[in-house]
Amino acid sequence: MAKAQDIDVEPSEPYRHAAARVVRVRAGELFDHSEGVLDTRDIERVHDMRVASRRLRAVLEIFAPCFPQSEFKGVLRDVKQLADALGARRDPDVHIDALRAFSRPLLAANKPGVARLVEDLRARQSRGNEVLATELERMRERGLQERLLALADAADPEAQAQ
Amino acid sequence: MKARRVDGLDPEGTLADNAERIVRVRLDELCSFMPAAAQPAEVVALHDMRIAAKRLRYILEVTGACFGPYAKTATKHAKQLQDLLGEIHDCDVQIPETVAFAEQLQAADAAALHEAAGPAPDLDPALLKQTPHARDHAGMAALQVHLRARRMLLFDRFVELWDDYERKGFRARLEYAVGERAGVESQPQR
Repeated sequence: MAKAQDIDVEPSEPYRHAAARVVRVRAGELFDHSEGVLDTRDIERVHDMRVASRRLRAVLEIFAPCFPQSEFKGVLRDVKQLADALGARRDPDVHIDALRAFSRPLLAANKPGVARLVEDLRARQSRGNEVLATELERMRERGLQERLLALADAADPEAQAQ
Repeated sequence: MKARRVDGLDPEGTLADNAERIVRVRLDELCSFMPAAAQPAEVVALHDMRIAAKRLRYILEVTGACFGPYAKTATKHAKQLQDLLGEIHDCDVQIPETVAFAEQLQAADAAALHEAAGPAPDLDPALLKQTPHARDHAGMAALQVHLRARRMLLFDRFVELWDDYERKGFRARLEYAVGERAGVESQPQR
């Protein structure tokens, strides 16, 4: 799993300055992890992007009072929706992985039933991938990345001007 | 679960003072699920406690460096708790899913047997071998047994972990740490 970047913070720095910096970093991490996320052969990609979406959502909520509320609400809603789509793909990934590990030491007589469930989960994984592909496209159309950066700029206009 | 509102946040105030307010609310939120979540059947309380642990972990990950040294330890504790409660939650999701899938296979086989029986006055048990999912039922039953036992085991671990946190004064130490400021030698408690 990709580790989140450490962000230096100072106890005495203004809350809104930290908000801008932290949101910029976490938004960058989300989009950095979007490449190859629809490839079901490498389940770590979707995991990394999901974790990044959770971290981004968390920091948006932590710094909520620092942002213009009308823009903030729309961005948070879109981040949540993206996180849900990542979850729809990730949940069957995790379940399939767990079933594979579970199946290995089983008696031969027990393996076919588990394999049948894995087959069913593969279908869910494909549907989840379609949901995620649609959501990624919607995210691009709605300019989520740009709106996140604009939100960070609005929290700390001085830093934007520098 | 909707997060508890944090009053008094001020964008012009310092990061540490605002973060302290958030951590205090999130910590109280987390601790409020006990002792209710110490009952194995309290699936919703356990799930909500996981969300509360996640919220506490994330605020500490971002702002823990503003506080006293125990904040770093508390971040690890919150993550460990979140991970364990997450595994319990996975079982709580997978058990009913597995039961439903097994029932779906059984219903399909029952329908196939009914059809195979034709006009016979009674059902021949030998027909069971020919059902579409005849080889699948044993594995589904084994999986259900495994998931239920694993859930019990994880729940025991959770209770032990929380007891350990209580013994080590997790709440009081974190409350103290968020009253401290990193780089400042002594700080009066609020």
